[in-house]
Amino acid sequence: MNAAEELKRLLPNAVVSTGIQINKPLAVIRKEELLKVAEDVKEMGFDHLSVITGIDYTDRFEVVYNFFSYGKKQNLVLKVILGHDNPEIDSLTTFWKGADWLERETYDLVGIRFTGHPNLTRILLPEGWIGHPLRKDYDMKTEQFVMLGEDGEDVVSTDGSKLLRRK
Amino acid sequence: METEELLLNMGPVHPSTHGVLRFKLRMDGEIIKECNIVMGYLHRGTEKLGEMKTYLQFTPYTDRLDYISAFPNNYAYAKAIEELAGIEVPLRAEYIRVLTMELNRIINHLVFMGSLLMDLGAATMIMWGFREREKALQLFEMLCGARMTFNYIKPGGVRDDLPDGFIPKLNEFLKDMEKRIDDYEQLINENEIFLMRMKNIGVISAQEAINYGLTGPALRGSGVSYDIRKLEPYSIYPDLDFKVCVQSEGDSFARYMVRVDEMRESLHILRQVVDTMPEAKIVAQAKYGIAPMTGMPSAVSTYFPRIFAPPAGEVYSRIEAPKGELGFYIVSDGTTKPYRVKIRSPSFCNLTAIPRMVVGLKIPDLIAAFGTIDVVLGDVDR
Repeated sequence: MNAAEELKRLLPNAVVSTGIQINKPLAVIRKEELLKVAEDVKEMGFDHLSVITGIDYTDRFEVVYNFFSYGKKQNLVLKVILGHDNPEIDSLTTFWKGADWLERETYDLVGIRFTGHPNLTRILLPEGWIGHPLRKDYDMKTEQFVMLGEDGEDVVSTDGSKLLRRK
Repeated sequence: METEELLLNMGPVHPSTHGVLRFKLRMDGEIIKECNIVMGYLHRGTEKLGEMKTYLQFTPYTDRLDYISAFPNNYAYAKAIEELAGIEVPLRAEYIRVLTMELNRIINHLVFMGSLLMDLGAATMIMWGFREREKALQLFEMLCGARMTFNYIKPGGVRDDLPDGFIPKLNEFLKDMEKRIDDYEQLINENEIFLMRMKNIGVISAQEAINYGLTGPALRGSGVSYDIRKLEPYSIYPDLDFKVCVQSEGDSFARYMVRVDEMRESLHILRQVVDTMPEAKIVAQAKYGIAPMTGMPSAVSTYFPRIFAPPAGEVYSRIEAPKGELGFYIVSDGTTKPYRVKIRSPSFCNLTAIPRMVVGLKIPDLIAAFGTIDVVLGDVDR
């Protein structure tokens, strides 16, 4: 029995389906049960949260978690499917500290909100940036400029006329 | 005596931040109370670019992530596509790949040692390190014409075979390097100032290191015997004899020592690769060609199509890069361009632990601890 099936046996209500994602066991999780699942996943020995990915499928969002267990030397992939309007999901920062920046990055670039995150701000782009670049409907035509504000913080604006430009 | 807390800004342009990174420090006298990291100054939207380029067109962009060690970046991306499309890579190509990656590991660690010592105020090591690095860069130049951004390892194999006279020159480098590492250790390891700056600074326990998602030498320095080359063997690593370098203390000095030992192991691997390299073809035959291969001048590029579409699916594939776990999460929708490329870069994830490591230390210790995490800002900001 692989890790995804074991998870389904432990929490039959939380796991929607199980499968294989190229050599790695995959479990699709109900959004409401994520924290309960995370607790069990951690107890199963998956101590390393490799990566969090958000994917925009235009009709839905998918959040993918890749886990690894140093003790058991096993992989586990968790996937949560979210609606396209106002995507929101629980934060895993209480279980894995490494989730902190990965969640901030997913919020910044894909626009998925993580409830319960201690500091859910943009990380790669400056605060005030319009849109989330890795969404498929991101407006790439509008130029955005980053300037230094009065207090030393970055200010974003779509008006670049004040910038020095080579003629 | 009552003192006021001071908000100190360090960076974004500062010689010890190895690029453009900004620390916002809340100080109580000389002691760091809180450390916030501001990044993104080098953000080039690599992941978004990935969605707009064909699979092969994206390879040069991976060079520009961790530009100190670009071969592993190329390889990690190629490996993800190969897993997705089920491409078998010829054995000789795998040997050449491992050869380049291990050579790259050595020069990555040379740059690490050089810049760490420079941050601490010793200028000798960067001169020595760059002297040897130059020899390796000349080897890379022989191989693919580039010194830093190689675009050499591509899905299905490598771009070109080893040139004439490469192996003798490599052997010379290996022989020379052996002695040089002894020199470095003699110069650094017993230095009292160095030891005072490194021992018991930025200590992180094994459990915490795992929880923060540290990987690579930073995690091995905390006593976790982990190496993706051993845990999930890829390429020809299962056939090679090497050991995982571990130190148990979890401080800056342990992380430094792991890298010195790793350089020796890489030399050991390189010698085996040179001895056992087979003579054979270097690029896989195309399985997923959708465009006819016309008008390609070179003999090598005709083996693998420039435009191809792997089957729809998702893959997360990771390798042990010099800085830690480098992973590519690629979603394919069956077209010639990736639907989504997510890069799990070791520098970004390792940097997460810095605010935790430096609380209670002084600013020079922050520099020492930050130096031993070994980040490259191209890799952090992507």
